[in-house]
Parts: sequence; C-alpha cells; structure tokens
Amino acid sequence: MVNGVVPSTLKEALEILAERDIIPYAGGTDLMVENRKNAEYLFLNKIPELRQIRVDEEEIRIGAAVTFTEALADPNVPMLMKEAVSRIAAPAIRNAGTFGGNLGNGSAKADTVVVEFAADAKLRLVSAIGERIVNVDGFYLGRKKLDLRKDELIAEVLLPKHGLDRYAYEKVGGRNALAISRVSFAGVFDSADGRITKLSAAFGAVADTVLRYKDLEAMLIGKTFEEAKHLKPEYLKAYDERMMLTKGRVSAEYRKQVCMNLLDAFLSKFGI
Amino acid sequence: MDAIQFVLNGRQVTYTGSAADRLLDVLREIFRCTSVKCGCKEGECGACSVLINHTLYNSCCVAMGAVEGADVVTLEGFRETERFAVLEKAFGSVSAVQCGFCTPGMLLAAEALLSKNPHPDEEKIREGFSGNLCRCTGYNAIVNAVKQAAEEGSGLW
Repeated sequence: MVNGVVPSTLKEALEILAERDIIPYAGGTDLMVENRKNAEYLFLNKIPELRQIRVDEEEIRIGAAVTFTEALADPNVPMLMKEAVSRIAAPAIRNAGTFGGNLGNGSAKADTVVVEFAADAKLRLVSAIGERIVNVDGFYLGRKKLDLRKDELIAEVLLPKHGLDRYAYEKVGGRNALAISRVSFAGVFDSADGRITKLSAAFGAVADTVLRYKDLEAMLIGKTFEEAKHLKPEYLKAYDERMMLTKGRVSAEYRKQVCMNLLDAFLSKFGI
Repeated sequence: MDAIQFVLNGRQVTYTGSAADRLLDVLREIFRCTSVKCGCKEGECGACSVLINHTLYNSCCVAMGAVEGADVVTLEGFRETERFAVLEKAFGSVSAVQCGFCTPGMLLAAEALLSKNPHPDEEKIREGFSGNLCRCTGYNAIVNAVKQAAEEGSGLW
C-alpha cells in the first residue's frame, strides 16, 4: 500500500509508529478535511484492542477507535456522554468519527472532550516502550498542543463508572445538525445529606483548551444548598472575571454571555 | 507494495494509488462512479454519501487505506436493487427531486436509515437525513418520499 499501513494489532501499530513519521488515522473526519498532501497514514480501524468498550470495577473504558455511533448503541456509555455524542454533526460523521480522533485533533471545540473535562476522565496512552495514564486536563496543553509523544497512541478514554448521573449538557451551534460548537457546556453535580459533594463545570469552544476552574468549584463544594444559593452571585462573578474568551467567528462578548447563562442554569437545575 | 483491494458495487477491485487519497475522488476519477457528488469536501453536505459495509459515510472524509477489504456501494450499485425501485418511485411521485445533485446521497441515506429502522417516524427521518443538504426541495418532499417508500416497500427493509 502506498502512503499507508493497516496494522491488525496494536503491537504492530506501535512498532511502526516508533520507527517512522506517520500520522495516526482513526475516523478521518478531521484529517481528510485538512487533506495533507503526501501524508502517510497509520490506519487504526482494524485494531480490535482500540475498538472495544469495556467496563471494570471503577471505570468505563472507551477504545480510541470506537465510533460515536457505536458509543450511542452501548448501554455502558454514560448518558452525559451520549447526549454530547448524539449532537455531533450527522449520522455519516458519527459513523466515522472516533473518541481518539476527537482528542487527537487537539481542538477545544471537540464535543466529547468537554464532557471528559467535566467528568475527570483519564486517558490511557500507549507506546512500544510502555504506557501511561494522564488526566484529560493535563493532556491538553494548548491549541493543537497535546501531551502526546510522536511514538504514542491514545488507546482508551477512561470515564468514572459512578457519579455522572446528575449532569447538564448544552451545545450552542449555528444550526441543529452539522454544527461546530460555538459554546459547549458540561456540568456534573452531586449532593449528599443536604450538602454539595460534587460540582464540575467545563466550557468548550471558548478558548485554546476546554476551560474548567477547580478552585472556583471549591467555593460551593461542601456547602449546604442554602449556603450555595447565598454564594451563587459571588460564584458567578468569579467566573465572569476569570473567563477570557478567544475571538471567534461569533463575538467573544456573545459567547461569554452564553457561558454565564449556561452556568447559571446548571446551578438552578440542581436547586441552587 | 500491495495495492488496496475492496469490493465496489459487488465487484472486487484494486487501487494502486495513494492510501491517503480521498475515496470520493477515486470513485469519481478512477472508477467513474459519478453519482457520487462533490459538494463541500468537508463532510458537511452529504452529496458524496456512500455505503461502506452497509453503513453511511461521507466519501470525502474517507482515505483509501480505510476501505481496504471493505464493501463499498454507490448509487451505481444500489440502483440494481428492488429497494431502489421503491425509493425511485416514491421520490418521483412526490417531487422529492429537483436539481438532483443531492439525490444520490439522499437515496443512500434513505437506504441506511430504512435498513436500521424500516418504519421511521418523521423525527427519525429528519435525523437520518440531517447530514444531507438539499437546496431545492425544502426537505418536506423528501421526508414524504421516505414515508411513502417505507409503506410501499414494507417487508423489503
């Protein structure tokens, strides 16, 4: 095959990747738009290890070459993720696009990535010499900059098995289908004995990476609902001051207001 | 260097060019499947829809290396089927075709949808076609054509 290799095992793929300059190809929906001339691709669609969704004690493990359509059909994938995935593009793109590709493309507009930030997902990265597990927020270093070596592949997205049932997800795009996010939002909430035990809020498509501020979330964690309601204006103001949006096709002022509205609605949804 | 082998409309074929080439271009230029239209080259219009292993894809967003060993169907192949005959009649009878540029993609999207869900409601039809743009019909006629085909072709899917 000219300009391409189709390995049938992960081991073979990693050996090739270690030896030469070759671009991992999962679903192709971003890569083929770039249409790089004379590119050499490492096709990952025939590697069984990357195509599985597995569940263990703690985590749901989504293989990097699992497509969005496959994830929607799998009962183990959390509803929060399914909601985001169901709004990606249109059926033909969801049939091709993958979790690994959505990450590997390095865009803060990737609709599965904002969910991964809110869910404290981890990524399993593999190479011919070993593997490592990183937090998704540490993996994204900047626009198109990832903590991924040239000899490494994204193997799996690891989502927590519990604690994602109470969530908010919103995607604001220019149209119903085939929309690139102008703002995306994912939030996860939980409470016990009248106190907030979990609160995460992640914003996609607004800056070079997905934005999430754990120090601001900490303002409300451990508080009672009454305390949280009292603190809400201060909490929102802190986000308003912190969030610096990059310019886009749609004005930063508008997108910022959308972010603030979505954050407010997320808290309201859970009684704050 | 081994060539890329795949099945195109029921025939085993070989492609000796680059694995990075677009399936869309190869189908049109090499195999002369000109039903596959190029509208946007970025997966946003669905005019280049094809079926790969019975699943709908935008052929502009598929590299040739990804179709090694696959079963590819374009309208040139699909039009030989009984299902096509039902869809053709339905699309014609409710005027779901005007300029026709999106029609090959629409018909393959219909095949993909009805194969999964032989009796879709209107919402499912619109979702199934959400990746296929039409600038002429306003979509209602296409939705009606698919409803009609699902009824008249009941049992075929």
